[in-house]
Amino acid sequence: MKSPRIALALVSALFLLPAFSAAQAQKKRDLVVWGVSLGPETKGTEAIIRKFARRHPDINVRVLSMGAGTMNPQKLMTSIVGNVAPDVIAQDRFSVSDWASRGAFQPLDDLIARDSGKDPLCPRKEQYYPEVWKEASYGGKVYGIPTGADNRILYYNKAIFREKADLLRAAGLDPDRAPRTWSELLKYGKVLTEVDKNTGQFKSVGFLPNFGNAWLYMYAFQNNAVFMGDRDGISGRVCTMDTPEAEQALKFIVDGYDQIGGYEKCKEFESGFLSNENDPFVLGKVAMKIDGDWILNALSRYGPALEIGVAPPPIPDDRYNHTGRFANEKETYVTWVGGFCYAVPRGARNMQDGWEYIKFATSTEGRMIENTAQKKWEQLRGRAFIPRQQGSMEANEALFKAFKPADPKFAAALRQHIDLMPHGKIRPVTFVGQTLWDNHVKAMESACYHKLSPKEALLAAQNVVQRDLDAYFNKANYPIINLSIPLYVGLGIGFIVLATLVVLFLRHRMGNLERTEAWWAYLFVSPWLIGFLLLVIGPMVASLFFSFTQYDVLNEARWVGFKNYQDLGGADWNNVSKGLGNAVFLAALTVPMSLAVGLAIALLLNQATKGMRFYRTFFYMPAIVPGVASAVLWTWVLTPDPNKGLLNAAWLKIVTPLLGLNPPGWVQSADWSKNALVVMSMWAAGSGMILWLAGLKGISSTLYEAASIDGANPRQTFWSITFPQLSPIIFFNAVMGFIGAMQEFDRIYIMKPSSDGPVGPDDSLLTPVYLLFNNGFAYFKMGYSSAIAWLIFGIILVLTFTQFKLAPRWVHYESDK
Amino acid sequence: MTTANAIFALGTLISWVGWIMGATALFTIFKLTFDNVGLDSKRNMRSLMISGLIAGLSLLATAILPMHAATKDATGFRVPLVWFVMPYSAWLGVYCLFMGAYRSVQAFLGIDKDDRIERMKSCGIWLLVTVAFVWLYRGDPANKITILTGGLWLVPQTMFAIVFLAAAGMAAMVIAGRSTKTRGYAKTIVTQAALLAGSVVFGLPFAFLVITSFKEDKDMSSPNGIVWIPKVQQTVPYFDKKKPLYEGQFQGETVQGTPIETNPDGSIKIDIIKPMAIRGTTFVAAKAALKEVPRDIPIVSGKTNGIEFEGKVIEEMDDGHRRVAFLKPASLAGKEQVFAPAEVENVRHVGLRFQNYTDAIQFLPPETHSGLVYLKNTLILVVMSVLGTILSSSIVAYAFSRMRFPGREAMFAVLLSTMMLPAAVTLLPQFLIFRTLGWIDTLYPLWVPAFFASAFNVFLLRQFFKGIPMELEDAAKIDGCTYLKTFWSVMLPQIKPALAVIAVWTFMGAWNNFMGPLIYVNSPENMPLSYALQLFQGDRTNEPGLLMAFATLCIVPVLAVFFFAQRYFIEGVTLSGLGGR
Repeated sequence: MKSPRIALALVSALFLLPAFSAAQAQKKRDLVVWGVSLGPETKGTEAIIRKFARRHPDINVRVLSMGAGTMNPQKLMTSIVGNVAPDVIAQDRFSVSDWASRGAFQPLDDLIARDSGKDPLCPRKEQYYPEVWKEASYGGKVYGIPTGADNRILYYNKAIFREKADLLRAAGLDPDRAPRTWSELLKYGKVLTEVDKNTGQFKSVGFLPNFGNAWLYMYAFQNNAVFMGDRDGISGRVCTMDTPEAEQALKFIVDGYDQIGGYEKCKEFESGFLSNENDPFVLGKVAMKIDGDWILNALSRYGPALEIGVAPPPIPDDRYNHTGRFANEKETYVTWVGGFCYAVPRGARNMQDGWEYIKFATSTEGRMIENTAQKKWEQLRGRAFIPRQQGSMEANEALFKAFKPADPKFAAALRQHIDLMPHGKIRPVTFVGQTLWDNHVKAMESACYHKLSPKEALLAAQNVVQRDLDAYFNKANYPIINLSIPLYVGLGIGFIVLATLVVLFLRHRMGNLERTEAWWAYLFVSPWLIGFLLLVIGPMVASLFFSFTQYDVLNEARWVGFKNYQDLGGADWNNVSKGLGNAVFLAALTVPMSLAVGLAIALLLNQATKGMRFYRTFFYMPAIVPGVASAVLWTWVLTPDPNKGLLNAAWLKIVTPLLGLNPPGWVQSADWSKNALVVMSMWAAGSGMILWLAGLKGISSTLYEAASIDGANPRQTFWSITFPQLSPIIFFNAVMGFIGAMQEFDRIYIMKPSSDGPVGPDDSLLTPVYLLFNNGFAYFKMGYSSAIAWLIFGIILVLTFTQFKLAPRWVHYESDK
Repeated sequence: MTTANAIFALGTLISWVGWIMGATALFTIFKLTFDNVGLDSKRNMRSLMISGLIAGLSLLATAILPMHAATKDATGFRVPLVWFVMPYSAWLGVYCLFMGAYRSVQAFLGIDKDDRIERMKSCGIWLLVTVAFVWLYRGDPANKITILTGGLWLVPQTMFAIVFLAAAGMAAMVIAGRSTKTRGYAKTIVTQAALLAGSVVFGLPFAFLVITSFKEDKDMSSPNGIVWIPKVQQTVPYFDKKKPLYEGQFQGETVQGTPIETNPDGSIKIDIIKPMAIRGTTFVAAKAALKEVPRDIPIVSGKTNGIEFEGKVIEEMDDGHRRVAFLKPASLAGKEQVFAPAEVENVRHVGLRFQNYTDAIQFLPPETHSGLVYLKNTLILVVMSVLGTILSSSIVAYAFSRMRFPGREAMFAVLLSTMMLPAAVTLLPQFLIFRTLGWIDTLYPLWVPAFFASAFNVFLLRQFFKGIPMELEDAAKIDGCTYLKTFWSVMLPQIKPALAVIAVWTFMGAWNNFMGPLIYVNSPENMPLSYALQLFQGDRTNEPGLLMAFATLCIVPVLAVFFFAQRYFIEGVTLSGLGGR
């Protein structure tokens, strides 16, 4: 037993490593900051941190991105629950209320009161735009200090307007200015869209409602839609998505797509492009878009010659004319503002230093340091720099003064953004912010795809959100339940098991020798037995228990009976059925196809006389590439842009000329995203090949000899001998394939195009385990996610039993004699 | 227009006949190549000839028919095809309907009553399934069937080339078929060609990965498809008098940077340029501690006054203009000129950009010691998991297979039933348990469970232990071995191959583990490679070169292990696939 000894030596060596590093640990205080990425675009943030570290030499600032920008909710949640929370977190403002309402963030009011007036860096409320400040507060308390802010304006390409001036004039539109109202916007959009007469594809597009960054939120705000309403004197008690105002806004979006050929066609057009130099707006393929100020730097870098014009985002006609519902409305133009803030999670170990950092980073001084450093970085690379918008009015003006872009068109764009800031509306401050956002995206998608009418789509979304609201506000109806109950039950079961064993042992009449053997056997089995009790039975009891509760881990659990299970088949059936459907789809395509590809290779390899070992290795190699690495690789292979993506580059050269089909959008398209995963699985079909090879070799040659004596032709031989002999492999793989597809998670987590909202376009990549993960770790519904776990378990049980019951009918097992 | 349409319809039909016959011919070729048909070969040869002839003729006919009258574009020949675009449910419904019809015909032709009933039954089942699929199809209002007419555009040259190639191929096959010896060669050639083609398809993503990891940013995207030959910027070393580059020591690291200001005492404030991770940091150093080093500046080419030149860029200006010192031709050498960015082009030669790798490593958080900590964590995870799994699973399996004790059967049944339990069920409670233990943000939750024996491994090893003859164990007992000693010295060595297979699986599982670290690990110094790679991807979406370099670094160790333990990997798949037996 040489190898275990070597392994032991290795392990002990590895364990010494941390001991060494611990010995030289610094005496500095650690300050852990999360959610800040340190890439080429955020050199300014780095500068703030360095400057802060220089001012406070006793603090060691440790920055971690954790999926930067879109802070991964699961990471934050597990860290808070696990008592290893960061000290400061950069958080998207709209989700602050989600966390604050559950007590996961700490209010900053006391600290502000303590330092205000004493510390010039201390944030002052009046420094900030009121809406921006409001977004980071909840229940009258301040939970986050805003940093950047981003609102949306209309960008248009003056050159295209000039080029098509005649067309615009013919339609009664003015080519020298941007559209001001929704109806004008639609008209401009239609006139400026050009379709290739031969292929039916877009040559260029006038306007796509959600290209850039507008979402339903912006249009709804413009139409005075309010997504959350009051009832029984409680603000935010009801979700009011299904209102005429929101419906009009959604209808506007749908019309915008329909008038030029429908959402699917537009999505296909969009997916042919990417950001930066391949942005269709930069390439002059899109005449108008609504977007935030973050595109300015990219525009100045990749399209400095682009003749951009800016205007406030067009608004409903009635609003512009101050007629109808808007007769008494004072505000004309309205936009949507979002952005980030710094917050302090519950359980932060170094809150004081964290507060020092927040004060410094959010102060006007900090903002100036950030932008100065970023400008220097861009200059070093020969690029222009345009400052970003801030949540603080003071900082915004200071930055505009210091860094006003030299190019008048960019200066005008930045000014437009800043001027519209006071008219920026925020997403509702509610503890269901994430659910509201995700479902608003889903409503928009299903209306655009014409799966539901705008009203139905909004109502469906409203119902989902309302369910969460009711669960929260009605929680007093459900009794608080002591969480030690599952512990006692688990202990009880463990005790019963042990007692049974003891009884069995005592009742058994044994000789001395046998008794010794039994003792030893129990000792040998004990690793499994302990693990079984602690890590299997205990958690199973607990999970079953949780599935009957409403539990967010951060607060107490409440007993809700069968409600979670009712939701599975009722209120949440849309998601559950979608997840199961996706799993069936994935399994139905992946299993037979990978078996077929495997069989094809195996048959070829069976023929090969030379190089069999080499080929076998080569074909098997993709199957052992680590999952994360292969997902990262395939994200690039499947990039829709044929200039970058391997697969679409080949598609454009081979498939398009032959069949006239355009390259698909793969993971970015609702129809193709699952196929993308299937293609990826085909690459790893080598494991199937090995199975077939083994199976083929395992078939006794006497069977074939007998068949050839009987005069069977090759087809008969295959169906009567080869297939029945291989049937166990096929059947086993079919069942395992489905079980695997239900639990598909890793590669979808890595490859899905947007980090929140639907899992893949139109939820096309949602699998049951993903649904469980989202509910548990993003929506704080641990109880419900436990119920999903039991649903998965139930399906696996049924499948396995079916396998054992049905298999003998057509699966041939050699031992069945 | 009606005549044109009639011709189009006829052409469509003939073309389909052509395609089907072509497929038959191809099928026969394969049959002749791969099967030992012997007696049948004459018949096959005849069928090959006939189908090939019909295929060629009908395709030619469709090509010659004036079908383009019905279509807009008239260049080349259009071989019409009809595409049915419908959802999978509709396709499956059609397939099941077809199978149902097929079975009913078979039933009609059946020999005896039993046979007929059997086939009618199967027909019924197919039709039931058809109904199910139709229901599924109708369930979604978005489902629709579209019939698209399209076609293959072929110019006469390609058309004839295809016909000639097909003829030549058939002739070659006929000749090859004449002598058994040459036929063997033909078979080998076809097989090897197919395998090579397959290897290329399977190898392309790997090649893409590795080549991308060596590319410069500007080659990442190209309108002419993927760039397969990486090029790098040609540079020359250059001592800049105005802006010298210094090398010095900062916090124990060798850094390079440019001076920002010189203090009265002669010390210099340096702005760090390399390494990337601390780029932009400044520090003050004495002049003596600094060493001036040359900087690598790019070579560019262009035209000035009609003369083509090559030169080095001695200054990059803020507005993008570049000051160039001429190198070639000799007449200009030594002079300088300022150019706009578009006027000069970088001189690049074929080569690999290794800097992607060094940059990628430098971008990792400093506390990870250039990513070595990630590797260490992954190794801890792998070694501990493998060790734990092997030790615990084998000893438990030994007890279950070779020892007698009360409750053995019952316990084994329970063990088997836990094989079906999905990890999702125990995910959350296990998290809470490990939290109580204070193990969040450590590696323990990821490898400690390995020491508690997994059901599947126990099941597998038990089968192996059962295969070992009793005599061995008895002999050991007679020699006075304890149970532990028997297990360790006699039984364990007997199942080494199975242990190796389990070790390899566990190795793969631990190396790939992603959801575990995602949930349990928070700080860089406790992260394994898999999770670090995912975070790296999030931060470097716009720098594919660095990302691919890091991905390559993560894959290489696994591939290395694979090459050394190939046999066990492959046996492992076989065992897992047949585990259901």
